[in-house]
Amino acid sequence: MTTKQNLLEQGMTRAEIQALRNKRTGLLIFQISWIMAFICLIFVNMQLRSQSGEWPPPGVEKLTPILPSAMTVALIVSSLFARRAVKAIKADDAAAFLKYWRYVIGLGALFVLGMGAEWAFVPVSGQYSNVFRLMVGFHVVHALAIAYYLWRVYRGGLNGVYNRINFWPVEGGAGLWHFVTVAWLLFFIVLYVV
Amino acid sequence: MASISVPLGGTQSGAPSQSGPKLRVSDYLKWSVDHKIIGVQYMVTALFFFIVGGTLAMLIRWELLTPNLDLVQTGSQYNTIFSMHGIVMIFLWIIPMMAGFGNYFVPLMLGAKDMAFPWLNALAFWLIPPAGILLIASMLVGAPEGGWTMYPPLSTLFAGDGQTLAALGMHILGLSSILGAINFIVTIKNMRPEGMGWWQMPLFCWAMLATSIIVVMATPFLAGALTLLILDRIAGTSFFDATKGGDPLLWQNIFWFYSHPAVYIMVLPGMGILSDVLAVHARKAVFGYKMIALSSMAIALVGFTVWAHHMFTSLQPALRVPFMITSMIIAVPTGIKIFSWLGTLWGGKIRFTGAMLFGLGFLSMFVIGGISGVMLAAIPFDIHVHDTYFVVSHFHFVLFGGSVFAIYAGIYHWWPKITGRMMNETLAKWHFALTYLSFFFTFFPMNFAGMLGMPRRVAVYLPEFQSVNSVISFSAFVLGISTFILLYNMIHSLMRGKIAGANPWRALTLEWATTSPPPATNFINDPVPFHDPYGYGAPGANEYLDEIDRRFGVAEQPVPRPKAVQPSGD
Repeated sequence: MTTKQNLLEQGMTRAEIQALRNKRTGLLIFQISWIMAFICLIFVNMQLRSQSGEWPPPGVEKLTPILPSAMTVALIVSSLFARRAVKAIKADDAAAFLKYWRYVIGLGALFVLGMGAEWAFVPVSGQYSNVFRLMVGFHVVHALAIAYYLWRVYRGGLNGVYNRINFWPVEGGAGLWHFVTVAWLLFFIVLYVV
Repeated sequence: MASISVPLGGTQSGAPSQSGPKLRVSDYLKWSVDHKIIGVQYMVTALFFFIVGGTLAMLIRWELLTPNLDLVQTGSQYNTIFSMHGIVMIFLWIIPMMAGFGNYFVPLMLGAKDMAFPWLNALAFWLIPPAGILLIASMLVGAPEGGWTMYPPLSTLFAGDGQTLAALGMHILGLSSILGAINFIVTIKNMRPEGMGWWQMPLFCWAMLATSIIVVMATPFLAGALTLLILDRIAGTSFFDATKGGDPLLWQNIFWFYSHPAVYIMVLPGMGILSDVLAVHARKAVFGYKMIALSSMAIALVGFTVWAHHMFTSLQPALRVPFMITSMIIAVPTGIKIFSWLGTLWGGKIRFTGAMLFGLGFLSMFVIGGISGVMLAAIPFDIHVHDTYFVVSHFHFVLFGGSVFAIYAGIYHWWPKITGRMMNETLAKWHFALTYLSFFFTFFPMNFAGMLGMPRRVAVYLPEFQSVNSVISFSAFVLGISTFILLYNMIHSLMRGKIAGANPWRALTLEWATTSPPPATNFINDPVPFHDPYGYGAPGANEYLDEIDRRFGVAEQPVPRPKAVQPSGD
């Protein structure tokens, strides 16, 4: 975390520091809030399971976790690259930032394509496929929207907009991408592990 | 302790400033990022929907004057009326009105220039009108008939397209609430002035903080529930259809996980208003300040553990007792508040202003609602009165006797700050007397009707209930009429009200340490808060208040208008 003193030394005004502090707190609260929507869908999954007695219901094949596991690894790695990208831009290393950010977007696109295929080709099997499509679809919509935002940040980065003082769009984008990762890990456990 | 030699903010010179900025009506119809304009936009919009919801309530009571159908032609029409009454009153009146108070006063109380995210704040408000239009439009295209709770299969298999529109409208309102709540939390956490720690913060801010925590944690569940409902209605899924492996109780669980905490979303800000009003108008420090603040947080926390008491008749028997216990536990922090408020009043120099009267009205009526809530938390009693008028009485004592009385108290208390003019106190007393009595005789007899078995949500009832329903309906009509006294008082005040000055109640919280209405940036210099926001009688308090009067002006009579010159006839 960049301290207030460091930010002042880097040339940020007190008003800018206050705005940055507000944005960080706001993002954190948004993350805590919106993760509840994902927890709600986990609750839906759990209740339909308990209603069914057996899960998947008799005659329905359990989904194999091979492709989703690979996609999960890709997503986690992309999140780690996002972290590195933030560190790079705070150190004024724009080239490294762009490199890591490309990895984030590439791996994110891979994840969306992979899970999009899972969503599209899951066999229709009543509530089991209903709740699967609901959860994966809900997550992919978020991943797509945030990936679009990451793309816009990348375009800004190509134009040299970001530096050690103006780094919030990068930090905020990375924060949103971490949210996508954490939300997916919760879903992955419920859909494929438990 | 604050030194009054330190500038209070608001004006740069020592010359008194009597008036704030002159705003036109058109300023309130535009996109603005000024939290005060947004606050007024919230409040005026909410008041409009209060009239809409109130009109629907009058129609309900008109229909129930007799045991048979007379006003409406079918039960479906009656279902639509009470469903929309509930949805409008909760989502378009009480919640936005409380958000309006929060928007206007939280930054002022914190000595801030605006909310943390002004643009987001404006967006949160401007989501409300389209959502309101969707909800009203839903009545025209196959209206919702499942009540504000929208239980499937009533809301899935037996409702027209209006149900989908209503669900979309509520989705948008939920988003608006979340955006607003994020803003409140960040503003309260990050934008307090130097000298105002957590324990020097006005209790209204504590209440808004607790409310916002509930909103950000609970409202996504409403979003989830509404998404499933919309999917079931338009995308062919069957999450709530028991014949296809779905579960209607799934809706009840998710919906109440939001909607029970939503009761506290509607009541906690009112409790915050009450804490401020009682202290100011009793000229006494709040008794048990920390306990009131912490009990708000306790209510926010425990509020998440009680939702299934709405489902005692459909819940697994093994889960009933745990939820009964948590539902009773939540009465403890509420009781702490009640006793603290009584302690605040004890020995105070009580001024029976309109604000104070409605504050006292809140105290008495909310206690009745709270006690009937504890009765409903007891499983055997709840099963006996389930879905009867006892429940209708309970939640109206909480939401009208609590929230709406608090809103009235807040309006009378803060009107001078918002408009720069005083309201007529005689009219305020008439408003209170009529509201208090008619409210009581509208909703208290419902307890008897409910215990005798009169079901809610029916347009046709047994003839033996007619006499009690007549009393209820006539009282309700008086209650409806009493609202117009407030509206008249508002208009009269805007046109001819006494100039309020900066601090007509001589209150110590920071919103009074600037002109009425405040300038665009609230305070020109950084304001210095008094060390105790409720330190009436504390050393230095009078000097601090006198300094506010000197700098920003005191209440005064408006200049009398010259009499019209009579034609001489010569």
